[in-house]
Amino acid sequence: MSESTATREPPAFAVSKKRLRLLGLTLDDAIKVFFGGNAFVSVIVLALITIFLFREGFGFFGQNRQNLRIYRQAGLEYVDFIRTQTDDHTALTRYLSDLRLRQLSFFLQEKKLSLADANAALAAFDDFADRFGTAIDPLRAMVSDLTEQATEIKTKFIVAGDKREERRQLTAEGKTADAAAVKIDEVNFTNELKPLLATLPTYRAVNRELEQKLKGVLDTAPPPPTPELAVRFDRFKDLVQIYVAGFPAVEKNLETWDYLKSVPVSQAFTAFVFGHEWLTASFWQDWYGVVPLFVGSLMVSLVALVIAVPFGVGAAIYVNQIATAAEQKFIKPCIEFISAIPSVVLGFFGIAVLGQALRLLSQQSWLSWVPGFPYSERLNILTAGCLLALLAVPTIFTLAEDALNNVPRAFKEASFALGASRLQTIVKIIVPASLSGIVSAVLLGLGRVIGETMVVLLCAGNRIAIPDFSAGLAVITQPVHTMTGIIAQEMGEVVRGGIHYRALFVVGLLLFLLSLLINYVAQGIVRRYRISIG
Amino acid sequence: MVTSVPILMDTRPSAPSTAPAAGKPTVRPPAVGASAVASPAALNLPAATTLIDIEQVDFFYGATQALADINLKIDDRKVTAFIGPSGCGKSTLLRCLNRMNDLIEGARVSRGTIRIRGVEIYQPDVDVIELRKRVGMVFQKSNPFPKSIYENITYGLRLQGRSDKSDLDAVVEKSLRGAALWDEVKDRLDTSGLGLSGGQQQRLCIARAIAVEPEVILMDEPCSALDPVATAKVEELIQTLRENYTIVIVTHNMQQAARCSDKTAFFYMGRLIEYADTRNIFTNPANPQTEAYVSGRFG
Amino acid sequence: MNIAAGGHIFQSQPNAARRWEHATFWLFRAATYLVLGCGLSVFATIVFKGTRALVKPEAPFINTTFFTDAPETLYVFTFEGKGYAQGDREHRAFIAAHPAAARVKAESYVYSAGGIFPCIVGTFLLVVGSMAIALTLGVCAAIYLNEYARDGAFIRFVRLAILNLAGVPSIVFGLFGFGMFVIGFKVFGVQFFGWNVSLAAGWFTLAFMVLPVVITASEESLKAVPMGFRAGSLALGATKWQTIRKNVLPYALPGILTSSILGIARVAGETAPIMFTAAYVVRDKLPWDVAKVSDFFFQGVMALPYHIYVVSSKIPQNEYTERVQYGTAFVFLLVVALIAATSILLRNKLRSRYQW
Ligand SMILES: Nc1ncnc2c1ncn2[C@@H]1O[C@H](COP(=O)(O)OP(=O)(O)O)[C@@H](O)[C@H]1O
Ligand SMILES: [Mg+2]
Repeated sequence: MSESTATREPPAFAVSKKRLRLLGLTLDDAIKVFFGGNAFVSVIVLALITIFLFREGFGFFGQNRQNLRIYRQAGLEYVDFIRTQTDDHTALTRYLSDLRLRQLSFFLQEKKLSLADANAALAAFDDFADRFGTAIDPLRAMVSDLTEQATEIKTKFIVAGDKREERRQLTAEGKTADAAAVKIDEVNFTNELKPLLATLPTYRAVNRELEQKLKGVLDTAPPPPTPELAVRFDRFKDLVQIYVAGFPAVEKNLETWDYLKSVPVSQAFTAFVFGHEWLTASFWQDWYGVVPLFVGSLMVSLVALVIAVPFGVGAAIYVNQIATAAEQKFIKPCIEFISAIPSVVLGFFGIAVLGQALRLLSQQSWLSWVPGFPYSERLNILTAGCLLALLAVPTIFTLAEDALNNVPRAFKEASFALGASRLQTIVKIIVPASLSGIVSAVLLGLGRVIGETMVVLLCAGNRIAIPDFSAGLAVITQPVHTMTGIIAQEMGEVVRGGIHYRALFVVGLLLFLLSLLINYVAQGIVRRYRISIG
Repeated sequence: MVTSVPILMDTRPSAPSTAPAAGKPTVRPPAVGASAVASPAALNLPAATTLIDIEQVDFFYGATQALADINLKIDDRKVTAFIGPSGCGKSTLLRCLNRMNDLIEGARVSRGTIRIRGVEIYQPDVDVIELRKRVGMVFQKSNPFPKSIYENITYGLRLQGRSDKSDLDAVVEKSLRGAALWDEVKDRLDTSGLGLSGGQQQRLCIARAIAVEPEVILMDEPCSALDPVATAKVEELIQTLRENYTIVIVTHNMQQAARCSDKTAFFYMGRLIEYADTRNIFTNPANPQTEAYVSGRFG
Repeated sequence: MNIAAGGHIFQSQPNAARRWEHATFWLFRAATYLVLGCGLSVFATIVFKGTRALVKPEAPFINTTFFTDAPETLYVFTFEGKGYAQGDREHRAFIAAHPAAARVKAESYVYSAGGIFPCIVGTFLLVVGSMAIALTLGVCAAIYLNEYARDGAFIRFVRLAILNLAGVPSIVFGLFGFGMFVIGFKVFGVQFFGWNVSLAAGWFTLAFMVLPVVITASEESLKAVPMGFRAGSLALGATKWQTIRKNVLPYALPGILTSSILGIARVAGETAPIMFTAAYVVRDKLPWDVAKVSDFFFQGVMALPYHIYVVSSKIPQNEYTERVQYGTAFVFLLVVALIAATSILLRNKLRSRYQW
C-alpha cells in the first residue's frame, strides 16, 4: 500500500505484518517443519531398520563363502563324503534294531514266550545284526582318523587367521616391533592335504572289504518269523543293495575331488536359503541353512491359523451379525482383553499348563485315532500353534469385524426385502461382500503369528530340524525351532561381527522382508476390495 | 499467490478504488468505539464508499472452476447479500474475502484482484492472519468452542496477547451486548457455550467475531439451521450491526435478503448475474434469470 | 406349506430351514464363547495359582516381600529331621546359627526366593521412558499428518512407512535396537550411540515399536475434533499453530492418551525387543543406585516380562519354583490387564462424554 493512502486514512487496512523469520521461515512455518520432521521419523525408522539389518547381515554371505571354502580346502568336505557312508550304515542298523523290537514283541505277545526264551529265539538274528554292525568298523576308524587330520588343518588355518588379526591390531596401535614378532604359520593346503589324499588306496581296499562283508552277512541272515516281518526284512535287503551300489559313486567323488575348486558366490547364498541344516558352534563344520527354521515358523503359523481362522472369523460374524447388542458390548472388550495378554505369559502358560495338558489328552485311549496321538514331546508344533491361535484370534476378529461392518446396510436390507433369512443373507451377501477384508485380516493374522517370538521360543520345543513330513498329519506333534526363536535364543551368546551373529541378522532380515510382503499383499487386497464396492 | 495479478494491475488505468474515499476524510472511527453511539454518517450518506472491490475474479477448486469473471464492489457499512441456487459459488466468493479458501487443497484465485480498502489481499506480502482479524466470519453451522461463554468471546483477544482481566471483561460485555446476547447470558458467562440454544450459539459466534473488532463480517447462511424465532433475532442483530460493520451475508432465504440487505448480488453457475439495490432486485430485476429465481420459479 | 386351521398365512412355521439356521447360529455362538473361555482359562489359571504365591494366611494376607525384595536363590534341605526352604540371606543366617547345617546338601533353585521388586521398577522405567518418547514423536507426527499435510508423495510415503512399521515383528525391532543403540556405528570416526545394554537403548527400541500405534490413535482423536473448531479459530485471526494448540489439541488429548494406553500395555508386555537391548537376567543394584546421573540412562535393568521368560525356561518346574513363576506371571498379567482395562473403560466413557 502506498505511503499517501496510509497517511490520508488513519485506520488503514494494514494487513501486512513483519514476522520474525529464521532461514526464511516464520515461526508457523518452523513449527510445521518440526511436525513434518516428526512424521518423517517413521520413514527414517523404517529405513534405519533396513539399513541396520543389511549392515549387520551384509558380511554374512562373504563370511559364509569363506566358511564353505575352508570346509573344502581343509579337506572336511572330502571326509564328509566318506562320512555319508558311515551315517547311512548307522541308519541301516537302526532299521535292524527296529526289526528286532518288532520280532521281540511278536515273540512275547503272540507266542507268549518269556523274555529269556524270546531273546534266545532271537540269538541268530542278534548274531547277524552284530556282524552287520561291526562290518563298518574299519571304515569308521578311518573316518575318525581323517576327521582328526582335517580338523588339524582347519585349526591351523584359524590360528593363522587369529595371528594375522593380532598383527594387524598391533600395527594399528603402532607397536610395529611386537607386530613383527607375531609368528604366522601360513597354511599350505597342498602339503597339508597330501597325507589325507594319500589314504585313497587304503580307502578303496577298506571299501571293497566292507562290500564283501555286507554281502556275506546278508546271505547268512536268519529268516524272519512272520510274513509281515519278512516283507520288512526284504525291504532291508533292498536298502542294503542300494547302499552298496552307491559305493562307486563315493569313490568317484573322492577321486575327482579338488580342494582348489572355488566356491561360487551363489553357493554362499544358496547354502543359506536352501540349506537343510542349522548347526552352530560345532567342532567340525558350521552350517547356516535357514530351511529348518523357516519350515518351523511356517508350520507353527499354519497350525495357529487353521485354529484361529474359523474361530476369529466365526466370532466376528457372530458378534457383527447374530449377537444382541448387549452381547456385543460384552464380547468385544473381552476379546480386546485377550489381545492384551502378553505373549510371554502365554508362553509360560504353555510350558506350565498347556503342554502337559495336551500331552495327557493325547494319551487318552479314545483319542488314539487322531494322527500323531499319543505323543511324548510336551513342547511341539501343536502346543505353540494353539497358543499362537489365541494370539491371532483377536487380530483376525477385529479386522474381520471391521470388514463386515463396512458392508453397506443397503445390501443387507435388500436381501431381507427379498425374503432371505438371516443365515442366507450372511452366507450369500455379507460374507462375500466382505471377503477381501476377511482375507486380509487373515493375512495380517499370519503376519502377527509368524513374527511372534516368546511363545515359540518357550513352547515350540526348539529342535533345529526339518520335521519329518513322512509322518503325515502327525508332523504337528514334533518339536521345531523357528526364525524368531533362533534369534532370541542365540543372539545373546554370539560373538559380535562373527558369522553366526551375521547369520542371525540375515534371518531377521528375512523376517522383516516377509512381514513387508504380507503387509503389501494384505493392503493390495483391501485396495481392490474398496474399488469393487464403490 | 496469483501470478497474473501484477500484470493486471499494471494494465489497469485507475488503481485503488480508495480514490473516492478522499471525498470523505473521516472514514470510520474504530468499530468498537462507535458501537455505543449510532453513527449517523452511515445512514445519512446517500452514496456509500466502496470497501471491497472484486475485479475479474476466476476461482478454481483443482481443475473445476467455481467462479468466473466476478466483478463486484461492496459498500462500506452496508449489508450486502449473496443469493443464488446452491452450488453457484456464493460461499466460495465469501471465503475468498478472508482467504479461508487457502486452507483447501488446490483452491486458488487464478485471475483477477480483490482489494479491501485498496489493499490487494492476494499479494504475497499480505499476512493472512492479520487479514482474518479484520475480516471476521460467521459460519453456517454455529461452532462455539467447547469452552465457557467468556472464553469463547475472549479467544481472539487472548491470541493477540491481551490478558488484562478488566479489559477482557469490558470487551465481553460490549461484544455480547453488540450481539444482543448480554441479557440472556450475563449470569452464566462461565458455563459452556455448547449449552446455549441454537440461535444463542449463532449469536455467540457473532459476538465472538465482533470481539476482535473486524471491519467486515462475513456470514455464510447464518440462519439456515435456526428456527424462525431465532432467525428473526439474528436478522434484528444484523440491522444493528450494519451501523458499524460491513456485512456480507450469504443466504438461501430470499425474504431474508429482502429484509436485511441494502444490496443484493445474484449468482448463477459461478457467475454474477445481477448486482443492484435490494429493492430493485426484488421488485424490478433487470435480468430474466434473476426474476425467475426471486419469484421462486427455480432454485 | 400347511396352513393350520385358525392360522394365517404369515404364521411362523417350524421347518428344516429354520432349524438349520438355529443350529448354525449356535455353532457361531459356541465358537465365540469358546474363544472367550480359552482366554478366561489362561487368566484363571494364572490368577488362581499366582494368588497362592502372593497371599498368606495371616494378616496382612498379602505377601508384601514378594513386591519389595530382590530375587534370591532358594535352598531346600532337611536338617535334623526337619525340612527347610530358605532364601539366600535366611539360609546364610541359618548356617551361621547352626554351623552343622553347612554340611547338609541343599537343593538350590535360582531366583525362586525373595521377590520381584527390581523387575517391577525396571518395567516401570522402561514403560515411562519409552512412552514419553513415543507420545512426543507420535503426537507430533499425527498433528502433521492430520493438520498440516496435504496429499502428496511425501505424505503417501510417510503413511506407507507407518503402515509397514506396524507389521514389523518385535524381534526385528530388537535386532535393530541392538545394532543401532547397543552397538552403535561410526561415521568418519565419530561414534554414535553404542550405549550397550541400557535403559536408553530399550526406551528408543520400544518407542519405535509402538510409534505406529500412537500415531494411528492420535490421528483418530484429532480427526474426531470437528472442523468447525479450526475454521472458527482461524477466522478469528489465529495462526495455524495457535489454532492447534488452543482449539484442537486440548480436545484431542484425552482421546490420544486413552488410546495410547493400549500402546503402554504393548510396551509393558513385549519381551523380544528388550532381550538384548535393555534387560538383564539379574542385577543386584537398583536403577537409582548410580554414581553419576548420566549413568542412570546407560544401565541395564531387570524387567518383568524378561524375568518371566527366565524363570519359566531356565529353572525347573516344581513346587518350590512355582511360587515365583506363577507369582511373577500373575503380577505382570495384573499390571497389563489393569492398563488395558483402564484404556477400555476410559474410552467408553470418553465416547459418551464428548459429543460435539
Ligand atoms: N472444497 C471443495 N472442493 C472442490 N469443489 C468444491 C469445494 N467446495 C465447493 N466446491 C464446488 O464449488 C462450487 C461452488 O460451491 P459453493 O461456493 O459452496 O456454493 P454455494 O455456497 O453457492 O452453495 C460447487 O460446484 C461445489 O461443488
Ligand atoms: Mg454455501
